Amino acid sequence: MAKMSTSILSYRTRGWLRMSVEKQDTLLKMAVLSLAAILSFSCRLFSVLRFESVIHEFDPYFNYRTTKFLAEEGFYSFHNWFDDRAWYPLGRIIGGTIYPGLMVTSASIYHILNWLHITIDVRNVCVFLAPFFSSLTTIVTYHLAKELKSPGAGLVAAVMIAIVPGYISRSVAGSYDNEGIAIFCMLLTYYMWIKAVKTGTLFWSTMAALAYFYMVSSWGGYVFLINIIPLHVLILMITGRFSHRVYVAYSTLYVIGTILSMQISFVGFQPVSTSEHMGAFGVFGLCQIHAFVDYVRSRLNKAQFEVLFRAVISTVAATGVLVLVMLTAMGKIAPWTGRFYSLLDPSYAKNNIPIIASVSEHQPTAWSSFYFDLQMLTFMFPVGLYFCFSNLTDENIFIILYGVLSIYFAGVMVRLMLVLAPVMCILSGIAVSSMLSTYMKQIDEVKTEKKKTKFEGNYFMRSEIATFFVCVMSVFLVMYTLHCTWVTSEAYSSPSIVLSARGHDGSRIIFDDFREAYYWLRHNTPQDAKVMSWWDYGYQITAMANRTILVDNNTWNNTHISRVGQAMASTEDKAYEIMQELDVDYVLVIFGGLTGYSSDDINKFLWMVRIGGSTEKGTHIKEHDYYTPAGEFRVDKEGSPTLLNCLMYKMCYYRFGQVYTEGGKPPGYDRVRNVEIGNKDFELDVLEEAYTTEHWIVRIYKVKDLPNRGA
Amino acid sequence: MCALTTIHRGSMRLLVCLVVAVTGVVAAQDGINKDLINKKIERKLDISSQLVKVTQKITLENGGPAPVRAFLVTLTQVEKDKLSYMNVQSGSSVLKVSEAQVAEHRDLAFFRVDLRDPLQPGKTANVEVEMIMTQLLEPYPAYIQQGEKQLVRYTGNHYVLTPYTTTTQTTTVTLPSPNIESYSRLKPTTHTDTSITYGSYEGVAGFTVDPMTIHYENNSPFLMVSKLERIIEVSHWGNIAVEETLDVLHTGAKLKGPFSRYDYQREHNSYSSIKSFKTIIPASAKDVYYRDEIGNISTSHMRIQDDAVELDLRPRFPLFGGWKTHYKIGYNVPSYEYLYSSGDEYILKMRILDHVFDDVTIDELKLTVILPEGVRNVAFETPYPMERLPDTVHYTYLDTVGRPVVSVTKRNLVESHIQDFTLHYKFPAILMLQEPLLVVIAFFILFLTVILYVRLDLTLSKDDATEAKMRVSSHCEQVHTHHEKRARLYEKLEEEIQKLKSSKDVTHSQTATKKIQGSIRDETQAISDLSAKIRLDNAEYAEKVAELQKLDKTLRESVVQQLTNVEKLVAGKMSKQQYMDAEAPLHKKKEEALEKIKVLLGNI
Repeated sequence: MAKMSTSILSYRTRGWLRMSVEKQDTLLKMAVLSLAAILSFSCRLFSVLRFESVIHEFDPYFNYRTTKFLAEEGFYSFHNWFDDRAWYPLGRIIGGTIYPGLMVTSASIYHILNWLHITIDVRNVCVFLAPFFSSLTTIVTYHLAKELKSPGAGLVAAVMIAIVPGYISRSVAGSYDNEGIAIFCMLLTYYMWIKAVKTGTLFWSTMAALAYFYMVSSWGGYVFLINIIPLHVLILMITGRFSHRVYVAYSTLYVIGTILSMQISFVGFQPVSTSEHMGAFGVFGLCQIHAFVDYVRSRLNKAQFEVLFRAVISTVAATGVLVLVMLTAMGKIAPWTGRFYSLLDPSYAKNNIPIIASVSEHQPTAWSSFYFDLQMLTFMFPVGLYFCFSNLTDENIFIILYGVLSIYFAGVMVRLMLVLAPVMCILSGIAVSSMLSTYMKQIDEVKTEKKKTKFEGNYFMRSEIATFFVCVMSVFLVMYTLHCTWVTSEAYSSPSIVLSARGHDGSRIIFDDFREAYYWLRHNTPQDAKVMSWWDYGYQITAMANRTILVDNNTWNNTHISRVGQAMASTEDKAYEIMQELDVDYVLVIFGGLTGYSSDDINKFLWMVRIGGSTEKGTHIKEHDYYTPAGEFRVDKEGSPTLLNCLMYKMCYYRFGQVYTEGGKPPGYDRVRNVEIGNKDFELDVLEEAYTTEHWIVRIYKVKDLPNRGA
Repeated sequence: MCALTTIHRGSMRLLVCLVVAVTGVVAAQDGINKDLINKKIERKLDISSQLVKVTQKITLENGGPAPVRAFLVTLTQVEKDKLSYMNVQSGSSVLKVSEAQVAEHRDLAFFRVDLRDPLQPGKTANVEVEMIMTQLLEPYPAYIQQGEKQLVRYTGNHYVLTPYTTTTQTTTVTLPSPNIESYSRLKPTTHTDTSITYGSYEGVAGFTVDPMTIHYENNSPFLMVSKLERIIEVSHWGNIAVEETLDVLHTGAKLKGPFSRYDYQREHNSYSSIKSFKTIIPASAKDVYYRDEIGNISTSHMRIQDDAVELDLRPRFPLFGGWKTHYKIGYNVPSYEYLYSSGDEYILKMRILDHVFDDVTIDELKLTVILPEGVRNVAFETPYPMERLPDTVHYTYLDTVGRPVVSVTKRNLVESHIQDFTLHYKFPAILMLQEPLLVVIAFFILFLTVILYVRLDLTLSKDDATEAKMRVSSHCEQVHTHHEKRARLYEKLEEEIQKLKSSKDVTHSQTATKKIQGSIRDETQAISDLSAKIRLDNAEYAEKVAELQKLDKTLRESVVQQLTNVEKLVAGKMSKQQYMDAEAPLHKKKEEALEKIKVLLGNI
């Protein structure tokens, strides 16, 4: 009987999954890509799960407030919005001084969902917008890398960008900022541009222009884009790769893109008047000339052409330079703004504009943060560059250019790490995919056709080495995943509006002082109260407390900020004059001495002094007055008397001298500076304590009225 | 005169009730019955919280010749404005109260209480009047500093205000603490610890007034909910969502001067400030949240008890006099506890408001009930009159025509108003299918669009290469299908061989196998045709198909050989040993062919 059973054979060849190779391929790609997209969304939700669905940090609060306004009042009133809640008494024309892309995007999502009766509120749309757009970024990255190399590289790049910390840092749920959607727009524009260069069709070039328009509407970083694309064209010209395709692509993109970008009222006429945009214009001109020269060359013989060429070139160059110099001198072309100088020369801002240097995002990047934000991508990046160079095409030149430029900019300014992260992922995707596909094949071939190996070459232990390499690569990738998850969870998922710390018994303590104070302001001060604080907290106060503030994170008016800095740095009576002049009702300071919260106003105080002293009215405020003779910034007994008697010091440490903060230390022991404060027993003459939060992080003072006569 | 009023009243009764219920302003004319005497009044005045709770135990006597059906309760206009709740009981039965007016006393407010049974001449009746007034205690001084205690002043009447002569009356005032600044005296007056007793006073004529003032320390929370919006969203899928939005104001003495956190933390001397309060919600409540316009309020605790869930709510900041806050609290409860049905008829029975904190006073309440889509014939019943607001429509997830919204409002409420409302409505059960169907249709349309989009070709120019590729892939797909069919036929053939072995019925088997072999030939022919078509576009694949056919041929030959062998064996033309010897290589051949076919098909 045993024999009989052997004779029954399975004739069928296919299992339940009846699919052709192409279909399997598509399914696999779709599966990996959609998993990557889901992953990129879900790994950004740490903060929502740990805290709540809340807007983070500073700028997002402004964006949230404007989005709410847009969703409720409609686009036209948004466009014409004059905000009297900020920059008292100047006000701010919101419609004309922001990039509206972000707000318009979320307001449209909000309206569409509500039209479908999905009743989600604006806040939740805002909180989840960045993760949603990072999912889209994942998909765009796949397409971009696919165009550059292969679908395999695309998939690796997509998975990498889904979790790269450099990008997550700016796009976690709640971090509702321009960058959240701008990276998507940027990569979309690149993808369209590569497509346009590859095909040379009007369709793709126009799509690129539209994508560029979206980018312009959403982030000031569009300037990077409008410089890198012309640069790409220029390099193509220099390397003799200029073709009709490039001509069509660039001419269309530049013309349509520029006209569209001028529709954004904040951008206005900048694309035709500022130096940042001149490169693009110049290359546009060069394109025409190059095309014309090509045309002429095809009609003339070589000698004639040489003569003509030299004559024309020298005249054009001379007049061009002359006109440029003249226009700059006449002020028709605005000089380069400070932020761009600091891009080129990192020390420029520090020496010249304290307000720019004071922003932590504008600091140069530390080496460690490259590894922290990118991990294995840092060393996969050169490998990717190698693979791009080894197979040089028009589009590979673009990605090389993008990579090299952005690594320079990321080194200059921390926040530009964001621009670097996508190209790191793309290049690493190319590197990993190329290497894996090389080695994978070798494992395979050896196994199926063992006999042939000896004719194949003199590789030693080919299969083993290939296996080993693949294993090592897998380990790297797994490490990358672990690192990214860890960084996201530990470093980038704190809303920073709610602070948390570990208690003695390991339990989690929540410091909700910011919202406590803002909510107190919202409900227990007059509707029209004016609140003075350092500019960092401006957006939060307007959004959460709904009160008028003097300066905010927009920092457009240096003198006004400087005036606030002067008030903080002066003695009480001098400050009172300034506060009366500015019509201040309440003053708000952030103080970490009791809890050990280190980014408080005392630690930021030197910037207030510097910015306060940087304008005409504040010339009496000199930075060195606030240092000890030894040149130290101290708040203890050794500290400079100017510091110990200025308004900021007094507001932070009012009645703090009586508080015991740590066992075994004298009262008034500051846990941030780790010293006992120098000036303990003082009373406030012109202010009175209006509110101090539970952990003393936010302290609000009321400015007293002028005393009655004779009193 | 009395009889006349009674008749008059009888015809007006219905109208009066309606008018009082709707406006509460216009009232019927009433006269004072001179025959009634208050034989004894015991009044209790509880001013230990922010409320003024008055209880009067009245023994009424009918001194006249005719039976009396009703008596009057009198308040000053000020008291009437602050009156939140009034309940008159005789024994355990609640008596009907309606507003009345007396022509001679326009400056006073009157309430007519209908007795259950007419009071016969010479008889007495015991009634108990309970009243709660809010905002009657006045902080005095109106502004205090952080460390100061809160003093309030109560102004009233030493005598019970009543239109009838009172034979004997006493008043007991309950205070929160023994600390009294001052109090008015009218002999006999006794003060013990936390209470003051006035009386007894004998033979007091109607409408006698003697002002009483008590100025005392009261640090109990003076917390008023200035606006409470309660939204109840009913779902027939088993859940009722409740959300309350509250505006809370500290109505005690206002804070003057600075608020010092240091003093607040060190000295614990902020007597009148409110750090937290307890809210009680139903025991079955889950998914409780406590938040405001700027997010979750992290400072709260929840204790689950047997009969309720107790929430210890701490506002973001302590509330001092004059400070206010605003928050939202919400939870879900299962609907089976509150929703009763019979067929299509439903009754929702829930509380009009829930416990917010002890001795609460609510200035304005708005109750909104959102019913499921398709609900009809809504009838709202409340235990006390409330103003019904116009119905609206609410849209949320998966709604088409919107959900009917019913809302009512009322001002000045206290804890005694925590009672159930009843909402009757009709909901056809078939409408439960609407939402799942909507989802199904939406997905159907989505998939349909994708299917159409993928299949649509909108390009103007023909791309030969891709088209050829697509043709080849579709042909290859067909090759797979045909091969699969052929494989199944082979399996059948094998079965027949096995059957033949056991049944030994050669003729029957021959007809069956012939048929199968014919079908196999058909399939093979079909594959060959396809191979020819593939060759037009892609020679490589055609080669592979040709090889497949070759392998198939060997396979078929071996199977056929096997069949003949078995036939021979059955017919006895072959010995068993011979058969077995022939079988082994054939089987091996088959296996090899199949293995190759599998590899080949994997590549096509």
